[in-house]
Amino acid sequence: MADLPSDLVVAGVAPAADEAAVAKAGGWWRGRLGVTVPAVMVAFIFGLCFIWPIIGPVPPPTGGNILSSSLPAFSPGHFLGTDAVGNDEWSRLLYGGRASLEIALAVQAIGIVLGGLIGAIAGYLGGWRDATIMRVLDVFIAFPGLVLAVAIAQGLGPSELHTIWALSFFSVPASARISRAATLQLREQTFMTAARLSGTSFPRMLLGHIAPNILPQLLTYALLGIGIIMILEGALSFVGLGVPPPAPSWGNMIAQGQSTISANPRFVFLPSAALFITVVSFNLLGEGLRARWGSQ
Amino acid sequence: MSSTSAPLSAPLAARAGRARRLASSPTLSFIVRRLLAAIPVLLGVTFLSFVVMNSLPGDAAQELLGAQATPAEIHQLEIKLGLDKPFLTRYWDWLHQAVIGHLGHSLSSGQSVASILGSDLPVTFELVGFAFVISLALAVPLALVSARKPNGVADRLSMMFSMAGLSIAPYVLALVLVYVFAVKLNVLPAIGWVPPGQSVWQNIRYLILPAVSIGLGLLCFYTRLLRADLLEQMQGEDYVVTARAKGVRPWRVLTRHALRNSLFGLITVVALNLGTLLGFTVVIEDIFGIPGIGHELLQAIDNRDIPVIEGIVFVFAVIVVLCNLAADVLYSVLDPRIRYGRPTE
Repeated sequence: MADLPSDLVVAGVAPAADEAAVAKAGGWWRGRLGVTVPAVMVAFIFGLCFIWPIIGPVPPPTGGNILSSSLPAFSPGHFLGTDAVGNDEWSRLLYGGRASLEIALAVQAIGIVLGGLIGAIAGYLGGWRDATIMRVLDVFIAFPGLVLAVAIAQGLGPSELHTIWALSFFSVPASARISRAATLQLREQTFMTAARLSGTSFPRMLLGHIAPNILPQLLTYALLGIGIIMILEGALSFVGLGVPPPAPSWGNMIAQGQSTISANPRFVFLPSAALFITVVSFNLLGEGLRARWGSQ
Repeated sequence: MSSTSAPLSAPLAARAGRARRLASSPTLSFIVRRLLAAIPVLLGVTFLSFVVMNSLPGDAAQELLGAQATPAEIHQLEIKLGLDKPFLTRYWDWLHQAVIGHLGHSLSSGQSVASILGSDLPVTFELVGFAFVISLALAVPLALVSARKPNGVADRLSMMFSMAGLSIAPYVLALVLVYVFAVKLNVLPAIGWVPPGQSVWQNIRYLILPAVSIGLGLLCFYTRLLRADLLEQMQGEDYVVTARAKGVRPWRVLTRHALRNSLFGLITVVALNLGTLLGFTVVIEDIFGIPGIGHELLQAIDNRDIPVIEGIVFVFAVIVVLCNLAADVLYSVLDPRIRYGRPTE
């Protein structure tokens, strides 16, 4: 109980407390539609960003002709116009989405694997080992991620990989806390005691018994967290980390467009809209899945 | 207890008893234990930022003198600033000065770190406080209207609104607001800040857009949280059944009985959020040109101004730790069913 309030917040979107309420009250949303619609949206966005540039007529996102710069939308050959240096805006949106999605997925994958493992070990072992692991995680949670991000940007230089590292500092402790809380609940179950008494080894216990049981919870939180990570990726572009231009990411497109917002607002609004739609889709999918699993 | 005790000593004994009860109070010992546990966290955070800043190429001497400086000049300034000492010595020096409340001086401007914090923290606090007030003032009525009729029109609208609000990046919202209210309508200023001492009205005008940019996400988060908790209270709690049974109208049960309980949970989340939020304000301060602590931090990192960075990181970490503690304690004080230090059964 003592950990409840702290565990609520790391998830960022909404706490587990409303599972019962959603299950009882959210009949309209609990239905299949609540999962199918956002899942289709997410699949569509993935298809657009990862497959369409390969099979469709999409010009490269960089190295555009300066002579055709800042073309308005619906120009011939450039469906959304071109940016300030003549790159096709539609292409930049697709490739930018690719970078943003790659970063978000990689960060959450690292979070689930590393954080999930750390949290499960802490929760399962308990005692001083649990306390030590949690204090170390507290250090990372209390550490201003921005200092780290700017330091990485200045020390190692901005790159997609470095952005993933910096953002994992957010996702690993968050996942670890959720995984620990779930493991603590699990530990008292009869089948866990049975497994322990029958001499199951520690790694087998961890991977065979704990992991499959806490994975659904971790995955839902990871889905809900993808939106937050995508938003943070953009925030890092404002402070000099993130994907380095000229390569596009939604975050750096927004940050770059900021300076010309009064003359060319679409340079901000197009990537913003793409980011918004994607984050909404992931959030709805996470909510939908949680409502469904929570009701079981 | 015994009849032989003198009448005079009775209040003394009572006081001693109270003191003993206070000392053995589970809440107090919980607070003390948590504060002790916070010490290694604070040490870890400050040490980690020291390590991170020292692993960066270049130091304050180089940043101050610029690219044209000769190595000899840089070395001289390094000695003057104490940057030539070994890394651990410098951390130790900083730490034991910090423990006695002396956070040192900025390497680039020579200003004392305490005075920098003193001038910049209130700006950030005002911004964050404003955002909190806006979001809480709207979240409570929105959640009440939603919870009054779950799945009704108002509920669905407010849930849709809050899902949308949660999915907007604060900096995107900031840019949209600047575009609409500053560029197109020209009714609110886009960048800058006016101290409240100069003009309270102007101060608020300049803070509206940044505060809304931060506050909308909070508003949506709180609304969803409060609605879920209200529904849970209304459906399962005995006191709700009792109130209903004695004939209290449902709306009144919601606003007088359930809301009170749900607000406790909300308060703890608000306290927990405060720490996280301080980090989030950096980008917003950057966009709106607000001279807050985030702005100072970015500048200090650029200048490799380690005392300033350490000061800010230290204060952030203290705030996060205290907020976490306050949340847990509030939780137990406000809800008598939860008591730390006692078995939970």
